[in-house]
Amino acid sequence: MPRAKKRAKSGWSRRKFLQTAGVAVATMAFPEILISCGPQSNSTPTATIPKPRKGASIRLLQWTSFVKPADAEFKRQAAEWGDANGVTVAIETVTGDQLQPKTAAAVEASSGPDIIQMQYGWPQLYTDSCLDVSNEVNILIGKLGKPDPVNEAFCKVNGTWRAIPYTVVPNAWTYRTDYFQQAGVSSFPTTWDELTAAAAKLKTTSKPISQTDGHAYGDSLTMWNPVLWGFGGKEVNADGKTVAINSKETRDAIKWAQGAVQAGFVVHPEWLDPDNNQAYHANRISGTLNGASIYIREKIEFHKYTDVTNNAPMPSGPKGTFAMNLIFNHAVMKWSPDAETAKAMLLALMEKDQYQKWTMIAAGYNAGPFESLHNDPVFASDPKLKAFQDVVAPGKWPGWPAMPSKKTAQAQTQYIVADMFAKALANGGTGDIEAAISAAETSLKAIFERP
Amino acid sequence: MGTATRADAVPAWHQRRVRIYDREAPLGYFLLLPTLVVLGIFLLYPFLFGIWLSITDSELGNVGKFIGLGNYRFEFRNTDGVFYGAVINTFLYTGVTTVFKLSLGLVMALLLNQIFPFRRFVRAALLLPYIIPTVLSYEAWRWMFDPTFSVINWLLVNTHLVHYPGPNWLGVPANAMAALMIVNVWRGTPFYAISFLAGMQVIPVDLYEAARVDGASRRQQFINITLPLLRPVLLVVLLLSTILTFADFQGPFVLTNGAPYNSTQLLSIWAYQWGIPGGAIGLGAAISLVLFPLLTIVVAVVLFMLRRPE
Repeated sequence: MPRAKKRAKSGWSRRKFLQTAGVAVATMAFPEILISCGPQSNSTPTATIPKPRKGASIRLLQWTSFVKPADAEFKRQAAEWGDANGVTVAIETVTGDQLQPKTAAAVEASSGPDIIQMQYGWPQLYTDSCLDVSNEVNILIGKLGKPDPVNEAFCKVNGTWRAIPYTVVPNAWTYRTDYFQQAGVSSFPTTWDELTAAAAKLKTTSKPISQTDGHAYGDSLTMWNPVLWGFGGKEVNADGKTVAINSKETRDAIKWAQGAVQAGFVVHPEWLDPDNNQAYHANRISGTLNGASIYIREKIEFHKYTDVTNNAPMPSGPKGTFAMNLIFNHAVMKWSPDAETAKAMLLALMEKDQYQKWTMIAAGYNAGPFESLHNDPVFASDPKLKAFQDVVAPGKWPGWPAMPSKKTAQAQTQYIVADMFAKALANGGTGDIEAAISAAETSLKAIFERP
Repeated sequence: MGTATRADAVPAWHQRRVRIYDREAPLGYFLLLPTLVVLGIFLLYPFLFGIWLSITDSELGNVGKFIGLGNYRFEFRNTDGVFYGAVINTFLYTGVTTVFKLSLGLVMALLLNQIFPFRRFVRAALLLPYIIPTVLSYEAWRWMFDPTFSVINWLLVNTHLVHYPGPNWLGVPANAMAALMIVNVWRGTPFYAISFLAGMQVIPVDLYEAARVDGASRRQQFINITLPLLRPVLLVVLLLSTILTFADFQGPFVLTNGAPYNSTQLLSIWAYQWGIPGGAIGLGAAISLVLFPLLTIVVAVVLFMLRRPE
């Protein structure tokens, strides 16, 4: 049928044109309709855009980024919004390990900053102190598309959004191409077994591939959870109750780790989060797993190994490719006297053009938590940053496949998975596997079976 | 009527004033009141609040309900070994560091009690570890213990005392515990030394002169004069230091945070991990109070020894 073919080719029919035009007119007249038709619209049928109050004061507490200009841009944008709306905005930044004690103190005192950056599963820990922001998240969904599943898992507690998705800090491997070539390794390994082989070759250069297996609140978790998942292991079943660490899959993961260490992969139980960065910049190691900060600082600050540095996504295990990234979201706290103003500010900072100005200055350290922010121009600006874009999709959260909860957060903060690997990797990768698994199982049961 | 006669002779305002000064007990309590209020607000209330938290299932931001000794039972019945490991480590850490701080403090005080050039400068310099902000000094120690950049290892290797790359200070359980102890001794010894020095300086010099006339050796003077007269200071310092070391948090938290695999876990860090990042503030309070009965006995023994006559 020629007419039908023609219509199919153009993709338009009279009926479709009328439908589209009708929706467009209605949307212009009532913008809430568009918002309420977003992917999460079933939870809030209509959305109300929060209005800032002139004369209000807003305090926001978050961590200090490893990329300093990103903090400066965030503060500039917040101040600009404050000036335009007659709101005094104060952004307070503290180091990552200070953020939770400060948050906990504010929660216990029911007083403090109006907005607090929530890392990992804090909305699950401090649910009652975080206001319901479902309305605001649905507005963002209407504008920016589906949220990243990991941000959603952390922000949504029992079906209610308790934080507004803010960013993903992707974790990928940063490595020295010169040492890899010297050792005869042409590219970064794509499987964990290849990583073992590469580590063995790099041993000859005395610049090993290294990572922490200590109590580093970022790097330890982002390394050992994906290894566990890649071999099919898990801490707990999807029900969030049944501890499942004692399995053949966990043994396989640990055996791989022991093999890697015996081959030449070097683990450091004493390293905290900044230590692998320092070791890389000091030319002591040939590769490590980290946020993009190592590469970015080489590129914009140190200029020593920029040309011989590249980045690679997570290797795959027999059960697939997994990653764990740092996930940050913003919660509006229940004690805020100007919660509407706080929500309005967060919405303004998440506007696509504003947000991408910030991610561009963050130089690839941050990725957007909504669908339309995924193809951020910053990742196209430098091909070496692509690895950091690639690790966002396979990202999971501690405790996966169980949904984030207070209990998964407790297991995470007690470093149970990292400690299990660290015990088995002691003495050059010859630790007692069964003792390590048994200790992890007992600790997990204590948490998940606690009433 | 004697009473009436006295009342007639003394003006009323003067009579009241004399009565207050005559009754020492009420005046004493009255003068103590500001101190008691301050202690009540800053010591008693947090302490009682901590006890109350420990017998509830409180979580951060949520007031819990009474669960009796449930939190204590949970930890004592937990078989993962972390809690019992933390108890053992806490005792070990406190015991070893206290012995070293006591001995080194005493030696330092004896040396500083001598007359030598720049002694005032040296005495002031001794307090440096106490003056430097705590976290800053621990970060410096972390750097010194770092296997990649360790200045200690550099010295040890270059003086051929150990083979390259030297000990992994914070990455091996025994070394990590030793490192924690070294830093605690470094920071705590000046407190002992200065307190002992203050105690030594009030010992009458004529006692030593008389001993010397009687032919007493330095060692005999130390054992028979210095130590007995220093006993009250020594016991008070010992008491304070033991309590503070039992509860030490900052140093171990900055240096190891319990790693490697909880081998340097102390009760203070374990309580923090449950209470703050884990949100179970009731359980955290219970862990931090576990040693309270034992510490009470230690305090009672020391106080008894202080009150005991020579």
